[in-house]
Amino acid sequence: MFFTAILRTLIGEDITVELKNDLSIRGRLEAVDQYLNVRLAQVQVHTAAAPPVLQLLHGSCTVRGSCIRYIHLPVEKVDTELLQEATRRVAAATKETQTMK
Amino acid sequence: MSFTVGKGQLEEPVELLRIALDERVFVKLKGDRELVGTLHAYDQHLNLIISDAEETLQKAELDEETYEQIVRQERRKLQLVYVRGDTVFLVSPLLRHTGTFL
Amino acid sequence: MLSGEQSSASGPGSTAGEYEGQAPATRTPTHFLRKVLGRPVVVKLNNGTEYRGTLVCLDGYLNIVLENSAEFLNGELKRRYGDTLLRGSNVLYVGTIPD
Repeated sequence: MFFTAILRTLIGEDITVELKNDLSIRGRLEAVDQYLNVRLAQVQVHTAAAPPVLQLLHGSCTVRGSCIRYIHLPVEKVDTELLQEATRRVAAATKETQTMK
Repeated sequence: MSFTVGKGQLEEPVELLRIALDERVFVKLKGDRELVGTLHAYDQHLNLIISDAEETLQKAELDEETYEQIVRQERRKLQLVYVRGDTVFLVSPLLRHTGTFL
Repeated sequence: MLSGEQSSASGPGSTAGEYEGQAPATRTPTHFLRKVLGRPVVVKLNNGTEYRGTLVCLDGYLNIVLENSAEFLNGELKRRYGDTLLRGSNVLYVGTIPD
């Protein structure tokens, strides 16, 4: 859920999703769910060997989370200090629930 | 003398990444990919967010004439990237003292 | 994650009672892994790579932290690491090696 929350802060931004089959899809991030499935709008595919069906999607598509290798994020929209702080907090909270059990 | 974490310092393996936050890490991924970059976020699946990364991709190709195997390295820079945890094999903090690689 | 870790880490030990006499608690995988903490081990991953180093820490998923480790591919030394975290899903086996 932590990464879902991180990616949700980038809704409305342009990102590039790189799939495990080497296809890269660039688009505006519309939605992210708990499995890190990602919905993109205004989709552009630069790979020459892109499957033709992508032309039929009217510019938007949902990518299954498990197919993703990387998501290239916009540097200027992410505060890495804040990210680290949040990561430490989540790690501490996780540890706490663990010792409670 | 050891700068490494040592026994008893970690309760959970993934805690190693907390120590590595804001530090350079080396990551080995599926498909002969390697990354070196600064770690900013992780979770228990080993999903990562890494910045200023260099990715090295090893490609083994067969020479069509000699049938020799040629290993080609492709490199590229990644400014800020989310790495999906299921492709991760290994994460290792790059300790300044090791100097044994890269 | 945490309950999973708990149950898988203590699983073999706690079920041993059901098979009393067949599998003494000292011969379970969990017992083995506890015993080898801090000892030199070899970890093989399912891509064929081997890691040798001191076992610092592990959890029920078999996520493993090794210290002063080295990576071997087909018996050939490829690289050395200080600390390294291996993702449990790729672990084929953990074995002890003599000091």
